[in-house]
Amino acid sequence: MMPESTAVGRLIQCLRKLPGVGPKSAKRMAFHMLERDRDGARQLAQALQQAADCVVHCARCNNFCEDRICGVCQSPRRDHSLLCVVESPADLQSLDEAGVYNGLYFVLMGHLSPLDGIGPEELGIDRLEALLDEGAIKEVILATNLTVEGEATAHYVGELVRARNIRATRIAYGVPVGGELEYIDRNTLTRAFSGRSEV
Amino acid sequence: MRVHGQAAFVLHHRAYGETSVLVELFTREHGRIGAIAKGARRPRARHGNNLIPFQPLIVDWSGKGELVVITEAEAQGQNIALQGKALFCGFYINELMLRLVHRYDPHQSLFDIYGQALYGLLDEHTEAVLRVFEKRLLIELGYGLVLDHEIRGNSPIQPGADYLYIPDAGPVPYENDEDGAVKIKGRSLLALSRETLNDDAVLQESKTLMRAILGRHLGGKPLHSRKLFREVKYNSSTPRH
Ligand SMILES: [Zn+2]
Repeated sequence: MMPESTAVGRLIQCLRKLPGVGPKSAKRMAFHMLERDRDGARQLAQALQQAADCVVHCARCNNFCEDRICGVCQSPRRDHSLLCVVESPADLQSLDEAGVYNGLYFVLMGHLSPLDGIGPEELGIDRLEALLDEGAIKEVILATNLTVEGEATAHYVGELVRARNIRATRIAYGVPVGGELEYIDRNTLTRAFSGRSEV
Repeated sequence: MRVHGQAAFVLHHRAYGETSVLVELFTREHGRIGAIAKGARRPRARHGNNLIPFQPLIVDWSGKGELVVITEAEAQGQNIALQGKALFCGFYINELMLRLVHRYDPHQSLFDIYGQALYGLLDEHTEAVLRVFEKRLLIELGYGLVLDHEIRGNSPIQPGADYLYIPDAGPVPYENDEDGAVKIKGRSLLALSRETLNDDAVLQESKTLMRAILGRHLGGKPLHSRKLFREVKYNSSTPRH
């Protein structure tokens, strides 16, 4: 193990902070950069520096962005009467890349997890309420994960939405495209069945 | 140590590392235990999908001490699909279990009581289910509640009379209010004792009483899951729970 007092040791320690990176991969990454890709290493350092300094949360949707208001929230091509609530920036990106939705978003940056002490306050749900109170939104699509915590979050937010006489909808459950019924777990099948639709 | 075919529920789960899950299980014969399910978050993990709250499970594990290793977790029947308010109640029950039940302390009858409460939340009055669960939980944990007679003089509770319930002790005839004690009608005490909580006044009084008694055992730390109820109620016109 490289002592942390050396530059290489420090680099390895820092790389280990990345999700999914253990001591072995950290060492491999460090040595690769130093042996074969010094330019890449300098670019990475600069990109990290810039991101750490410039990235903030959008004042409206709470997603990561570099200005006060992000491009999505400012876009005139989007439907400003629709708001989709997601747990994470990654969820937002998946939805947006699928191209099925052209409204605005709100990113919770997590979900309600009462047993971990993450309640409505910790999640900053008051900012979502402020957005709803502006009056422009006609429908809120609850696209939190289909976990118990995601469900609890959807229910909680749904109540806030309905209390303002705004329509609240929840994304549907189902069998994945290409999925064979035989291999689908029972809970998914049950939900898919109860949410069946006319053909 | 290897344990096979143990009936269990997940009280709490938390991601651990990139692919594993830490769970707090409540099992029929071993009580509450901490366990790790390695690789349970991989997309095609064999038992990963099952290790969620409100899913009746049959679990195998090995090891002992602070963290056992789950080797199998099979769903036993359908997930108890709590929704909306009932789901919040489920979290509340799990939080109570985590706060009041210690690890490695087997409570077979509490296991049944816990399961009954979760199923009850599916179609019964949620508030009544919670009060009955709280009462039974306290009794199982040995905190014994006196609900059918006065603690001084032993005379049976009269439905029409007013009482003062002294937490940690029991009811005495009401004379005047006292700090920390709860004024309650005899019919509410009897309803809680007989588990027939079926009118609003009784439910409201039982709630105040149980909250005072639980407060003694929870210390100063509030229950996080209560926040979900309070704020939803405050902000919306949903039916009272
Ligand atoms: Zn934005």
